[in-house]
Amino acid sequence: MTENELIGKIRKLRQIKPRKDWVVLTKSQILGEEKMDVSLFPFFKPVYAGLFLFLILIGLLEFSFAALPGELLFPLKRIVEKTQAIFVSEEEKPKMNLELANKRLEELNQIAEKNEVKKLAPAMNEVQASISETAKNLVKSKKIDRETIEKSLELAKNKEKAEKSLGINIGSEETEESLNDFYKTQAEYLIGDFKNRTLTDEGKIALENAEKEFEAGNYLEALTILILSQP
Amino acid sequence: MANLRKIFSKIYDRYINKIYRFIFFKVNSQEIAQDLTSETFLKTWETYRNGNQEIENIQAYLYKTARNLVIDFYREKGKAKIVSADLGRPISDPRQNLEEKAMLTSDVNIIRKALAGLSEDYQNVIIWHYLDDLPIPEVANLLGRTEEATRVLLSRALQALRASINSE
Repeated sequence: MTENELIGKIRKLRQIKPRKDWVVLTKSQILGEEKMDVSLFPFFKPVYAGLFLFLILIGLLEFSFAALPGELLFPLKRIVEKTQAIFVSEEEKPKMNLELANKRLEELNQIAEKNEVKKLAPAMNEVQASISETAKNLVKSKKIDRETIEKSLELAKNKEKAEKSLGINIGSEETEESLNDFYKTQAEYLIGDFKNRTLTDEGKIALENAEKEFEAGNYLEALTILILSQP
Repeated sequence: MANLRKIFSKIYDRYINKIYRFIFFKVNSQEIAQDLTSETFLKTWETYRNGNQEIENIQAYLYKTARNLVIDFYREKGKAKIVSADLGRPISDPRQNLEEKAMLTSDVNIIRKALAGLSEDYQNVIIWHYLDDLPIPEVANLLGRTEEATRVLLSRALQALRASINSE
């Protein structure tokens, strides 16, 4: 037997190998946690778990934006709105309240259109609370601008629409009175201001129309005419 | 930790066959070879994981651990270690599987028996160089000899193996 033949025969000993099932089993016994840790359940890693929870939260928030009063995710939507309110200045608060009140009224209108009776009571409560909060902040701010007027008009329209479809009055008398008083004071102040100015022809017409509306007790309309006539 | 586990998993895959074979030639039993091989990897993994002792050469560390475990095994059992042709025939395991039984009649079994009858250094130098394809410098490092001395040892080991086969 030559040396090469002998080496060839030695190399045949490579056929001796451990059983495959034993190799796999032993590996899992020694490095037991590997599968749990890395391959099969990556969510168990803290970094993935954090990301996973974050994605779930984002998903829930996304869904909650479309939630209506009386639905499971609506409280989450309110929490988000309240959190956002923390970062809004006192000056901007009335505008935000008006936006929210309009949102509540739109939700009420949606519920009324779909005839979802069970959600009506919570939706009404939300609307009343929101309008009341808006009135309180508007009176407190004592300032009014073009944007606030536009949002107030939108609120009045939405409220009227909801009242028509439901056949009931929305908002307490107290709230209505405070809003009305606020619009009256603001309209009165603006009419006085217009009278002391040198007005263009358009301005004069606007003042005239506003005075008519004011006398008829339509304070928001009077206020609207005056605000919108200004450049 | 996950990274260490991943790295050791690759080490395991790379060396499991070699270490098993290395032990098997010395104990001649599938069951004992399995026990000692898993113990070799478990001990190495524990050292590797704890980082208490730096492992410079993982291959050398595995062979060294396996070798020590084989020595301990024979010491505990009070068995004579099969390191020399003078010590007689290797023990044959009654629980060998079919594949191994088939090999009994083949060339492979003749070589295996002849190899088992060699001294430990002769066995190791043949296994590492011709079976595991380790280059001479690495074999020298494992044996703690010079490259020249390793070449001489390898040549003598082959002669001893041939003589053992011829005497069958």
